[in-house]
Amino acid sequence: MTHPALQLQDVTSGYKASVVLRNLSFSIAAGDAFALLGKNGMGKSTLLKTIMGYLPKKSGTIHVDGNDITRLPPYRIARVGIAYAAQEQALFADLSVRDNLGLGLLKESWFDDRFAQIEPIFPVFKRRLSQYAGTLSGGEQKMLLVARALMMRPSIILLDEITEGLQPTVIERLAEGLLWERKTHGTTMLIVEQNVPFALKVADQYLVLKQGEIVDRGDAKNGSATDTIFGHLRV
Amino acid sequence: MILFLDILTTVAILFVVTAGLMMIFGVMKIVNFAHGALLTVGGYAAYVVTQLKLDPWLSWPLALVTGMLAGMVVESLIVRPLYKRPLDAILATWGLGIVMGQLIVIAFGREVQFVDAPIKGTWSIFGVDYSAYRLLLIPVACGLWATMTGLLNGTRFGVKTRAVIMNEDLARGLGIHSGRIRFITFSFGTGLGTLAGALITPLSSVDPNMGLNWLVSAFMLVMVSGHSMASLLVTCLVFGTFQVLVNTFVSPVLGGLAIAVLAAFTLRMRPKGFANG
Amino acid sequence: MVNAHATTELERDGSNPQPKTAKRRLPFLGLIGLVLLLVGPWLFDTYLLNILVKAYFLAIVAVTVDVLWGYTGYLTFGQSAFFGIGAYAAGLVFTHGGLTPGNVFLALGIAVVASVAVAWLVGWLSFYREASPFFATVISLVLPIVFVQLLLSGGTWTGSSSGLTGYETFDLSIEAWYWIAGSTLAVVSLLAWVVVRSDGGRLLAAIRDNESRCSYLGIDTAKVKTILLVVTAVVAGIAGFGYGSFSGVAAPELGGFVLGTELIIWVALGGRGTLWGPLIGAVLINVITAYLGSSMPFAWQLILGAAFVLVIVLLPQGLVPVLLRPFGLGQYAVHEPALVSRPLKMQSNAIPEMPALVMDGVAKHYGHLKVLEGIDLKANAGELLGLIGPNGAGKTTLMRCMSDGAERSSGTVSLCGNDIRKLPPDQCAKFGLGRKFQNANIFETLTVAECLRIAGTIRERPSLVRQAATLALPQYALDVVSTTGLDKKLGVAAKDLSHGEQQALELAMVLAQEPRLILLDEPTAGLTKTERTQIGHVLSSLAHKYKLCCLLVEHDLDFVEEIATRIVVLHQGKIVMEGSFADVVNSELVKTIYAGSSHAMQDPV
Repeated sequence: MTHPALQLQDVTSGYKASVVLRNLSFSIAAGDAFALLGKNGMGKSTLLKTIMGYLPKKSGTIHVDGNDITRLPPYRIARVGIAYAAQEQALFADLSVRDNLGLGLLKESWFDDRFAQIEPIFPVFKRRLSQYAGTLSGGEQKMLLVARALMMRPSIILLDEITEGLQPTVIERLAEGLLWERKTHGTTMLIVEQNVPFALKVADQYLVLKQGEIVDRGDAKNGSATDTIFGHLRV
Repeated sequence: MILFLDILTTVAILFVVTAGLMMIFGVMKIVNFAHGALLTVGGYAAYVVTQLKLDPWLSWPLALVTGMLAGMVVESLIVRPLYKRPLDAILATWGLGIVMGQLIVIAFGREVQFVDAPIKGTWSIFGVDYSAYRLLLIPVACGLWATMTGLLNGTRFGVKTRAVIMNEDLARGLGIHSGRIRFITFSFGTGLGTLAGALITPLSSVDPNMGLNWLVSAFMLVMVSGHSMASLLVTCLVFGTFQVLVNTFVSPVLGGLAIAVLAAFTLRMRPKGFANG
Repeated sequence: MVNAHATTELERDGSNPQPKTAKRRLPFLGLIGLVLLLVGPWLFDTYLLNILVKAYFLAIVAVTVDVLWGYTGYLTFGQSAFFGIGAYAAGLVFTHGGLTPGNVFLALGIAVVASVAVAWLVGWLSFYREASPFFATVISLVLPIVFVQLLLSGGTWTGSSSGLTGYETFDLSIEAWYWIAGSTLAVVSLLAWVVVRSDGGRLLAAIRDNESRCSYLGIDTAKVKTILLVVTAVVAGIAGFGYGSFSGVAAPELGGFVLGTELIIWVALGGRGTLWGPLIGAVLINVITAYLGSSMPFAWQLILGAAFVLVIVLLPQGLVPVLLRPFGLGQYAVHEPALVSRPLKMQSNAIPEMPALVMDGVAKHYGHLKVLEGIDLKANAGELLGLIGPNGAGKTTLMRCMSDGAERSSGTVSLCGNDIRKLPPDQCAKFGLGRKFQNANIFETLTVAECLRIAGTIRERPSLVRQAATLALPQYALDVVSTTGLDKKLGVAAKDLSHGEQQALELAMVLAQEPRLILLDEPTAGLTKTERTQIGHVLSSLAHKYKLCCLLVEHDLDFVEEIATRIVVLHQGKIVMEGSFADVVNSELVKTIYAGSSHAMQDPV
């Protein structure tokens, strides 16, 4: 039997003394994309950081394709095939676009090949490879974050609120790019978002997180999904 | 003209002495207080070469290798366990410096020793006779700067190292093994420290405490300069000039203090020093 | 004496309390020391007495280093400079002026005044607002180097590298010197011990644990540290004066950085933060060094250096506490005072008509990046404002601009009628602002009672001598403490509390400073349902009953709906709406902001 791409079992984690995620369990099959929704402070970013190894797990396990990654440090988790792009994480402003894109690669020689693959989604970078990443506009920087993750040819992509502050056309672009990535490479995705329409467009299913627990899940393509979700996000 | 050459050679010497310390400070965010002892070890490496009547040029590679080996041991045993306690890491490297100093005294005694310089005599530059070896240090420093800049900017390892310097967490998330980078950089930094010791010893002499005098100036410079080779060069230029001027026109004693005092006030006024941005 | 007060003996790991005998052990140890002091001259030969006198003077300096480093967290290599100042004061005056009663006072006076002046300068250099602790350490290392260089360049006047020798000094027997040195050490140590264990002395540990929190409680930490440095400098200077008078030699090594680093080694090996550890360590090491100095000088230094490195890496608490632990020493007696209500001190100064907060045209930018723009906000006593908005809207930046005068780029902020200009957080706190941070920002190694007492420092000065039997807090702070059960945990170290308890403790601490305006950053983050309800009641009563002005940043809108009197919506650095909860929640604007389809509102990329 095939293993799910990502499986969390009973994961509890938080910062220092506090507990943010409580006994969280879910799994994502290979090639699926989940949208992780919920109000701020509910634990979405914490979940991604926990998967990525930045936060220690107080209990529970995480498996990627059947392999236990619970105790691995972040750089090993990245090499296992998980790429993490977060809007708060920034880039290396003083490094070139090329360096930023290429740092996640295991071998420098793969750059040209990989770049050619992502170029259709992000044509803007072709002529800016030697520019310092810090001089790009806000939207371009966000796109660079996603491009960098795609360059790593990961099996799983974790995205944390990357549409924050972006223009509608750019967001549209990103959605198309992610859908293309899914279609071409079958990449599994876990997308944390405040922008519900974007998230539902890219993902197959959604999870709603509240107080560190999953309170609802469903089919993203279901017509009433939006209403259900807004119910949870009710202002 | 002599003043000009004094300034240039002083800047070169300062750069050579601080380069290794800066590598370590940039990547690991700690000041390696054993740096003074490493300088001394390098000086004694040159002494050993002199005693064995070997070619003085050999002291350079000998010092470099000794320093790198020492660095590998120190990083694994002392610095790595103290990763989360940076102030204690500084103290531990200080203690290490003391231990190294004592070992040197036991091995070589306390007396001041002299080493042979790879080139002797003077050269005639623009009408003045100036110590040839001292002048040699200018191209050596330039070469060192070029090598390090080339390494950092031109190689994949260099890019990864700069990434770790800028944002270690982000680098780790991209699959970069920052632990290994720290290990390599530390060893390289200590190697540069001993090499610097071997380079500067022919200028005066070597005794168990010679490194100590450089230690404070070196890390004051590193603290002012921030994290890039370019800013280190600028810092050495400014402070080196200042020191020579004080030495020449005020008093040699105060010249010895010039760097430390100027650096203290610079940092008080501008906590980021000369770092870009 | 400390043990006379009501004390409860609790071991930190919660196991059985210590037997009563342990309580007596520390004073017992002190008694042994005093006995040795008295009978020393009959027990020891002249050579050893000589060594001990010098060791005692040096131990005094070691004690000051422990107070500065072990207790306050300021790693200093520079105390030797003050020791050297004292020694040279004696040497210079007696060499150039001879030994007369007038000169004795002159020399002592110079030792004190010079120490004060230099310590003040060092404090100014080291303890400013954004200073890193590392920078302070570096300055402390530069100090003795500068001092020695000045001595070396002094020519015959200062004796240059050989120093001053053979000057006329007090004609006292070695026994007399022994008693003088020993009793000075005893007095200094006792005073230090009393202060460090007193309620006020815990402030040092608070600064070491969390200096920023102290600032936000209204404590001018730079001033405290500078004063501490001045006092310890004078003590070290006097010790140096004694040493210089006794030995008849004032050499540059006495003020150099080698001695400075040796002091650190003695304190580290002896046990930083214990006082008696460094004292014993300093004396022992000096005695051993004197005896081994001739037979195996280098090996001994090597052993010391290696021991130092090992201790730092493996045994940071030091050797002496570890060696003496089997005898029951080294456990702190925990002091649990009784809680008492106190009337609000601020009430007499309150001007109820002034709004608690007025912000006019406040903006904040980093270069071209505008984080806040055109903020006009007013808040009055008794109001409970909910500040809401999506991530990145600028809420935390806004709070920072309220609590720290240096933060904003333009505009004015007034707290209770006082313009905060560019003033630091401790001044803002004194104007009546209390800030509760998102992550429980407390003093980890202090007990609950100690945290609360330090928190009230600007209203009720803790004694520098006593451990008071009572802890007086304003009623609303007491309410928080009793509602959340912290009154049963007064003796527990703050780091051992649960997350919810730590949050409650921080809130109580902020209330202890009697603020007129409280800023709360996501107070419900990470709390259980019960804890949320509790804190909701607390905040409501603060606003409605005690007429405080509360400003909350919150994401839990159910929580905000329950208690807020007014909502302010922040989006992309601007206030886009203000009003009652119902108005705000039902507005189209806010719905679009939160639903994430706010493309129309975005600035072009």
